[in-house]
Amino acid sequence: MATRNRTLIYKRYRDALKTVRVPTSTSPLQSSGKSSCSGPVIELVNSSLLNPNRNYAPLSTEDPGNSRGAVTVGLPPAWVDVSEEIATNVQRARTKMAELARAHAKALMPSFGDGKEDQHAIESLTQEITNILKRSEKRLQQLSAAGPSEDSNVRKNVQRSLATDLQNLSMELRKKQSTYLKRLRQQKEGQDGVDLEMNLNGGRSIMEDDDLDDMVFNEHQMAKLKKSEAFTVEREREIQQVVESVNELAQIMKDLSVLVIDQGTIVDRIDYNIQNVATTVDEGLKQLQKAERTQKKGGMVMCATVLVIMCFVMLVLLILKEIIF
Amino acid sequence: MVLVTAARDYINRMLQDISGMKVLILDSQTVSAVSVVYSQSELLQKEVFLVELVDSIYKSKESMSHLKAVYFLRPSSENIQHLRRQLANPRFGEYHLFFSNMLKDTQIHILADSDEQEVVQQVQEFYADFVAVEPYHFTLNIPSNHLYMLPAVVDPSSLQHFCDRVVDGIAAVFLALKRRPVIRYQRTSDIAKRIAQETAKLMYQQESGLFDFRRTEISPLLLILDRRDDPVTPLLNQWTYQAMVHELIGIQDNKVDLRSIGDFPKDQQEVVLSSEQDTFFKANMYENFGDIGMNIKRMVDEFQQVAKSNQSIQTIEDMARFVENYPEYKKMHGNVSKHVTLVTEMSKMVEERKLMLVSETEQELACNGGQGAAFEAVTNLLNNENVSDIDRLRLVMLYALRYEKDSPVQLMQLFNKLASRSAKYKPGLVQFLLKQAGVDKRTGDLYGNRDFMNIARNMARGLKGVENVYTQHQPLLFQTMESIIKGRLRDVDYPFLGNHFQQGSLILLVKLALLSFAVSSVETSHGNASNVRPQDVIIFIVGGTTYEESRSVALENANNSGIRFILGGSVILNSKRFLKDLEEAQRTAKSSSNII
Repeated sequence: MATRNRTLIYKRYRDALKTVRVPTSTSPLQSSGKSSCSGPVIELVNSSLLNPNRNYAPLSTEDPGNSRGAVTVGLPPAWVDVSEEIATNVQRARTKMAELARAHAKALMPSFGDGKEDQHAIESLTQEITNILKRSEKRLQQLSAAGPSEDSNVRKNVQRSLATDLQNLSMELRKKQSTYLKRLRQQKEGQDGVDLEMNLNGGRSIMEDDDLDDMVFNEHQMAKLKKSEAFTVEREREIQQVVESVNELAQIMKDLSVLVIDQGTIVDRIDYNIQNVATTVDEGLKQLQKAERTQKKGGMVMCATVLVIMCFVMLVLLILKEIIF
Repeated sequence: MVLVTAARDYINRMLQDISGMKVLILDSQTVSAVSVVYSQSELLQKEVFLVELVDSIYKSKESMSHLKAVYFLRPSSENIQHLRRQLANPRFGEYHLFFSNMLKDTQIHILADSDEQEVVQQVQEFYADFVAVEPYHFTLNIPSNHLYMLPAVVDPSSLQHFCDRVVDGIAAVFLALKRRPVIRYQRTSDIAKRIAQETAKLMYQQESGLFDFRRTEISPLLLILDRRDDPVTPLLNQWTYQAMVHELIGIQDNKVDLRSIGDFPKDQQEVVLSSEQDTFFKANMYENFGDIGMNIKRMVDEFQQVAKSNQSIQTIEDMARFVENYPEYKKMHGNVSKHVTLVTEMSKMVEERKLMLVSETEQELACNGGQGAAFEAVTNLLNNENVSDIDRLRLVMLYALRYEKDSPVQLMQLFNKLASRSAKYKPGLVQFLLKQAGVDKRTGDLYGNRDFMNIARNMARGLKGVENVYTQHQPLLFQTMESIIKGRLRDVDYPFLGNHFQQGSLILLVKLALLSFAVSSVETSHGNASNVRPQDVIIFIVGGTTYEESRSVALENANNSGIRFILGGSVILNSKRFLKDLEEAQRTAKSSSNII
C-alpha cells in the first residue's frame, strides 16, 4: 500500500516560517517585530532543547521567558498510576501463570516421592495468581469516574481494556486448573482404582460393598478402608479448593463481564461509541440541570418552610394566650 | 479480503509506531472508513483510549498532555481550518497527522504556519479514503448523490465538488492497491467521461510520480459506468439476505438501525451485519429468503441445545465448564437474537406490503416479455388497496422503462391512475426518469432484446423455466462482467481513454464495428483492441451500487475465472434512496429552469 511522507516538506516550511515569525513576551498572538534582538535567538535554542523532554517536564522548570504560551506540559493525572499498577500486575500474573504451567507439568510426571512439595507449590502459585487478579479487579473499580467528561471517557476505555486482559487471564487460569485436575484424576484413578465420581455425586460410599458381607472386617479390609478414607478426605479437600476457586473466579468474571466489550456487537463499533459520547454528555448535562431544578423546587424545602412558619404561629398564639389569660 | 485488508493495514501502520496512550481524532467521513474495518476493542489493544470527531474536540478545554493525538482526516478545507485552531492551542502532548488523500502545498503551508509550538511530529498521506464495506465492494457515501443526473450548467461548482470526491476515492483505491489502471468509460454518459478524464489526468499527469509503480504485470482495468444505464436494479425488491435487509430496513456502514421500524430492547436497537465478524451472516448473506428461514431455524435449535445443557448443572465439572464457556454462550445468544429479530421484522413487512405479489410482477416486468399481460398486472396492483404508494410508483416506473415506446396510451393511463391513487406522488417523476434513463439514453442491453444473441438466450431461458421467480433477475453488471471475461467489451460502447494506448488503430476498428453492427461475428473478433485480458477489474458506478450487484460480483469472484472484480460506487442504493435522488434531481432541475 502506497503512502507518502510529507513530514520533511512540513518541517522545512515550519522552520522557514519560524525565522519569519518573531514572538513577543506578552502574547503569542501579537505579530512579529516587537521583542528585542536577543529574544528570538534564545527562544529558538530553548524550544529545541525542550522538545524531546516534553511530556514529563514538570511545570516549575518551564522557562518563564517562553512566550509561546506554553502547552501546560504537566504530569499525567493520578488515575494513570492506578492503571499502570494494574498493567504491571497483569504482567506479573502472566509470568506466574507460565510458572504454574511448568509446576503442573512437573507434578503430573510420575515420581517416586509423594509429590507433596509439588502440590504445595501449585497451591501457593494458584493462590497468588488469584489474589493478584482479585486485587487488580478491586483497583479496576477505582478507575470508574463520575460525570461525563473527556477524561472520564479515557478512563472508561482504559478500564475496559484492562478488564478484557483480566478476564482473559482468569479464563486461562480456569482452563489450566481444570485440565490439570482432569489429568491428575486420570493418573490417580489408574493408581488406586478408586472411582472418584462416586464421591462427587455424594451417593454411594465404599461401605456399601462391605455391607454385603457379614460386617466382619479383617485386617486387610480395615487397612484398605483407612486408606480410602484418607483418600476421600484429601479428595474432598481438593474439590473444596476447586469449588472455592471456581466461585472466586466466577465472581470476578461476573464483575468484569459488565466492563468487557462483546466483540462483533454494536458496542464494539467506533462510530457507535463516538455518538454515544456525544449523547451521554448532553444527557448528563440535562440530568444535572433537571436535578438542580427539582432540588430548588424541592417539596422538602417547601414542607420545611411551612412547618417552621406553623411553629412560629403556634408560638405567637401561645404567648398571646398567656398574656390574655 | 482486498479492500478491507488494505484499509486495516493503513490503520495498523498509523498506530503501531506511536507508543503510549493515544487519542484518535477522525472526521465524519473517515469515521465511516475506519469503523467498518476496525473495532473498538482492537483500538483499545493498540492503546487508543479516546476517539473523537475533529469538529467537537475543541469543545472541551481540558489539557491532556499525557495523550498523543493521532489525526486521521480528509484533506478538506474545513478540516485544515479545524487543525489550524487546534494546533494554535494544543491540548495533547504530540500530534501525528495522517491524511486520507493528497495534500496541496498550500495546505501544508497553512498547517506549518499555525504550528507555533512545534507539536506536530509527522505529516503523512495514508490513502484509506473509501469505505470498504465488503472485501470486494466499497462506497464513498457521498451525500448529494443526485448531482450526477443533472447537466453541468445547473450547478457547476457542486458538480465539480462531486467529481473531485469521486476521483479522490478512486485514486485512493488504486494507491491502496498500488496499481495504475487502464481506464474505460461508458460513452453515452457525460459524467462518466468527465470522471474518467479527470482520473486519467491525475494518475498520468499531475501525480504521475506517485502512481508510477513500475509493475510488470498487466495493468488492471478501471471501468466507469453510469447508474442510469441500469435503472431497473435499484428499483426492484430484493430477496437475498443482505440486499433484502438494505431494501426493507436499510444498512449504513454495515450497521442496521432498527429503531425506525419499531421498539426493541436496548441491545437490539442497532445491530452489526458484517461478513468479517459474523460467520452465520457470511454463509447466508447471498441466500434467498426461504433458505435463510431454514438455516436460522437450525441455528436456533443448536442454540437451544447449548442453552439446555447449560441449565443442568450438577457436577463441579459442569459448573466449571459453564463458567469457561459463558462468553461464547453470550455471543451466540446475541447473534441468534439479532438474526431472528431481523428475519421476523422482514417477514412482517413482506406480509403487510404484500411484497410477494408485487415482486412477482416486478420480476416479470424486468425479465420477461408480454406487454399486454404486464399492463393488466400493473393495473390490478394499482387498484389493490393494500399496495403501498412507493410500491405502486416502482411498478409504474418499471413498466415505463420497459414499454415506453410500445403503447403510449396505456402508459398515460397508468400515469393518471398513479397520480390519482397516490397523494404524495410528485407529478412528472416517471417522465423525469424516462428522460434520464430511457431507452435512448442507455448503452447496455438491459432487457436482452437488442441483439440476436441475447434474444436467443432469453428464449432459451424462457423455455427452460426458472428456479425461483423472485430471484430471476440478473443485473446488467453481470453481462458486463461476462463480456470482460470473454474479452468482448465493445470499444464502441466503452471506449478507452488516454493516448498511450493503441488508439490509432481503434478509430479504424470503430469504423469497422459501426459498419458491421448487425453482424456480431465481426465485432467479437475485434471487440477489444488491446487483446489482453486484465486480471483485476475495478468497476465504478457513478450514482451508486446495489447489494444485488455486489452479490453478482462476489459470486463471479468465487467462480475463479482468472479475473478479480472489485465494485465501487458513490453510495449504496436501495429503492428509497434511488427515488429520493430522482426527486431531488427533478426539483433542482425545475428550480434551475425557472431561474434561467
